[in-house]
Amino acid sequence: MRLCGIRSRFTTVNAASKRLRTVFVVVPCIFMIAMLLLPALNGLLLSFDHHGPSLANYRILFDDSMFWRALGNNLLVPFGSVIVEFVLGLALALMLTARRSRSALIETAAILPFAIPEIVILTLARYIFLPRGYLNGALAMAGMHALPWLSPRSPLATFTVILVDAWHVTPVVMLMLMAGLQTIPDELYEAARLDGAGTFATFWFVTIPMLMPAIVGALILRGIDALRIFSTVLVLTGPEGVPVLSTYSYSLWDDAQKPHEAMAASMILALMVTMIGVGGLLAARRFSRDDGARA
Amino acid sequence: MNIRSRALAAARFALSAFVIVAAVLPLYLLAKQSVTPELETFAWPPHWTPHHLTLAHFISVFEVNELRSAVLRSLGVAAVSAAIATLLGAMLAHAMARSSIAQRIGLSTVSGIRLLPMIAVAIPLGIILATVGIYDSPSGIGLAIVHAAIAIPTAALTLYAAFAAIPLEIEEAAWIDGASPIRIFLTIDLPMARASIATALILCFILSWDEFGFALLVQQTNRTLPPLLYYYTVFGNVGPASALALLMMIPAVCVVVALGPALRGTLTAGSSR
Repeated sequence: MRLCGIRSRFTTVNAASKRLRTVFVVVPCIFMIAMLLLPALNGLLLSFDHHGPSLANYRILFDDSMFWRALGNNLLVPFGSVIVEFVLGLALALMLTARRSRSALIETAAILPFAIPEIVILTLARYIFLPRGYLNGALAMAGMHALPWLSPRSPLATFTVILVDAWHVTPVVMLMLMAGLQTIPDELYEAARLDGAGTFATFWFVTIPMLMPAIVGALILRGIDALRIFSTVLVLTGPEGVPVLSTYSYSLWDDAQKPHEAMAASMILALMVTMIGVGGLLAARRFSRDDGARA
Repeated sequence: MNIRSRALAAARFALSAFVIVAAVLPLYLLAKQSVTPELETFAWPPHWTPHHLTLAHFISVFEVNELRSAVLRSLGVAAVSAAIATLLGAMLAHAMARSSIAQRIGLSTVSGIRLLPMIAVAIPLGIILATVGIYDSPSGIGLAIVHAAIAIPTAALTLYAAFAAIPLEIEEAAWIDGASPIRIFLTIDLPMARASIATALILCFILSWDEFGFALLVQQTNRTLPPLLYYYTVFGNVGPASALALLMMIPAVCVVVALGPALRGTLTAGSSR
């Protein structure tokens, strides 16, 4: 991200204000590093400690079938949830920025799921998707069969987790895409209309290319967040139902009392997030440079 | 009207209806559960309207010790962490708005921190807090400090634009009048950014109020609201859980409805979990 607005014409730069500025950067950054990064590094060290330095903690993980399920789900669920968020978020953003159908009521309703605390959304989702919950009640009313939405180890439960995860954060994707849509100049749409382009041609050849930076940004940010999925799984299915790395690590620590194995599992997740995050950022930078060259 | 635009209109209508149902119906059901006896909530087929009304669940929130102390603890943790995060975030934002080196350091720290998964920090942090003696403390001070650290990026990004917008001529005038840099910051920059400071405080408060993962791991027995709600939900105390969930929503929903579109930029900039 690049922030602009630095003013170098500050003529009174002097030792005193420079010193203050140094303090102002160093104190908050040290605080964040000490509270978040250093514990994580300590965890990294401890993950290699099994009565003395060894790889035993990781070896134990690799022999555990639950670990491989968690790893698989940790790729599948975020992927699915980002796709659902993106499709829904884009549809909503397009609808809410279209001149004819702008509506404050619908916009507020669309943002609402994000304003609700995550844990409340999950509590609600649990009551909706339970075997004798509201969704199955509605299905029964419509004369259809009840479905085991949350039954452990089922593909349907994975699907439910994806859906609920997307429900909470779709508004974020929508807001990011709306911000992107508002930067597209009206002249482009007018030119497309004069050239005889229809709704779908305009969408495909004007909106999507112009929206690309916002799309890439939204996908990277949401992708990184989605990989850290934890509470959705914990509340809906419990750590064993649709295990992901965070819940797997949590149950190793909390139920099995194996802190070092738990840290090893969480380090694998951290490695995954870092790789995907840095890869995404590099791809985005490359993308924006190509874009700049073309313009 | 041709077929294509009619299809678009239909899609638009369907999407609007879906959005409203997805936002309103679950909240209605939650509100219904919070005022009906638990037996009725477990009825099959589920009741869509309350048959009996009761305020017992809300009363229990204020009478049951565990619930009341969780509400107070959540309020305290959120207030303390918002104050610390806004202060430190203001310092960082001010430096970032005045120097490009500070900006680079600040942005790389913030984005590096964002890559850390909660679980990779929380387990070793719990061990560290335990050795310092503030793990699972009744006041929740350990959690408040952690929440402050998570919320600094949100506060800094909210305040950055406000500090960047202050005309340097004002600071220069104060400098010529003999004010020290720290005095300029305290008596000129902070008051001029007060609207953004209020926004930052509110956003950081809500971030802490809603936070689940660290709260679950750091406050194992002296719980704040989100983990308590989790246990109530999973172990089947539907009534109190619903009442608690409804109360938990109040701060966040107030803010979004009141500030609405004004928050758009900052909400997306600061969102993380």
